[in-house]
Amino acid sequence: MSDAQGPDDAPRLARTIESLLFLSTDPLSTAELAEATQAGEGAVATALALLSERHAPGRSGIALRELGGGWTLASDPDSEDAARRLFSRPRVSTLTPAQAETLAIVAYLQPVSRPEITRIRGVSADSAVATLLDRGLIEEAGHSQFGAVVYRTTTQFLKLFGLRTLDELPDVARWDPTPEEQAELRDRLLKAGEARAS
Amino acid sequence: MSIGALELDLEVFTGPFDLLLTLVLREEVDLLELQLAEVVLAYLDHLEQRGELDLETATEFIVLIAALLELKSRLMLMGEEEQELDIEPEQAAEELLARMLDARRYRSAAAHLGELLARERGVRFREAPLPAKLRRTIVAPAEGSYDAQALGEAMGRLLLMPPQIDLRHVAVPRVAVSERLALLRGLLRRGAFSFEEAVRGADRMTVAVTLFALLELYKRGEADWQQGESFGEIAVHSPQAAMPAGAATLASAGGLAG
Repeated sequence: MSDAQGPDDAPRLARTIESLLFLSTDPLSTAELAEATQAGEGAVATALALLSERHAPGRSGIALRELGGGWTLASDPDSEDAARRLFSRPRVSTLTPAQAETLAIVAYLQPVSRPEITRIRGVSADSAVATLLDRGLIEEAGHSQFGAVVYRTTTQFLKLFGLRTLDELPDVARWDPTPEEQAELRDRLLKAGEARAS
Repeated sequence: MSIGALELDLEVFTGPFDLLLTLVLREEVDLLELQLAEVVLAYLDHLEQRGELDLETATEFIVLIAALLELKSRLMLMGEEEQELDIEPEQAAEELLARMLDARRYRSAAAHLGELLARERGVRFREAPLPAKLRRTIVAPAEGSYDAQALGEAMGRLLLMPPQIDLRHVAVPRVAVSERLALLRGLLRRGAFSFEEAVRGADRMTVAVTLFALLELYKRGEADWQQGESFGEIAVHSPQAAMPAGAATLASAGGLAG
């Protein structure tokens, strides 16, 4: 358990880590790799750098990706056409707008309950939630103080969307309308309200 | 005929409908006292008399009566309602705005997620689970330990009649009357005694046999006894030395002890 390994050990550690990543279906964190290889985290980081060089785009059919809180091996997107012919099934079916909206709400507001999702979307989210659960993109994360089941996104979600962590999601406020647009929208609403009230 | 000419004969008003409307709007007829249902009934009567439905008139009537109903319900809910109505449109608009912004925000976020997914198009990951033998926790043996056969066997055991329990090894305590006789004679030789003394610490069988022995002694004329009360002390003494005083003492002592 020390970083005091000779320079010759780095390629060996890189090979070991590559094997572990090959065997694991879930992303492995640096800490997990360090524990399994009995090496220091610094040595693991060096080995990972070596590996990522070896798997740089265009050099290998396997890409080393940092996703979902760890490292994982993925296929080269260039091979997708061939892979599709081999497996006959698309990698992941696309999301319907309802599913994408529901997923976005869960991703940004997690843990979030179904009634809350419904409130934000203005329409029921039951079917979308069921599909997302089924596809392993979200999972149950306990209950709210009112007893409703709350949901969060999974590691599978991070993997499929190419995210290292949830922090990589852009600030949701960036899609807010400009203050002018908001003011205009507010005026329009108020006018409509007054027209109805009078 | 215009709906305004509809003749009404109500509790608070008699005259044509349009006059009623005018009076209501001028607040000369209190809307709260006006039974709008009566107006509707009058109109229905009027329709029946005419025998035909003039759609234009009917529409006019529905609009007017609806307006009156709304006006009346507002009057009935007056008070706190007044203030609420003042701020409500603004509040409602704010709330609606917040909701629209929320919905818009997450719709855009959803579009962004869609882009991310598209960017990751063509990337595949291993989906095979880790081989069982490489897992830290091995699940297979746990699965194998549940065997339907075991359930059947357990049920079968329950349905079997249990074998008769063999009691031969259980020793039956044997108490000989002769032994108890010897004991009682020994006690008698020392004088009077209470039955309780003779059987102190003995089991039920011994107590019963001792009583038989006592009866035997009585039959042979070797002993006599006295019992002051039911379940009281039994004072045993030799018949020759029948000393009522001593027996009484014993009996009372036994009574105290009991």
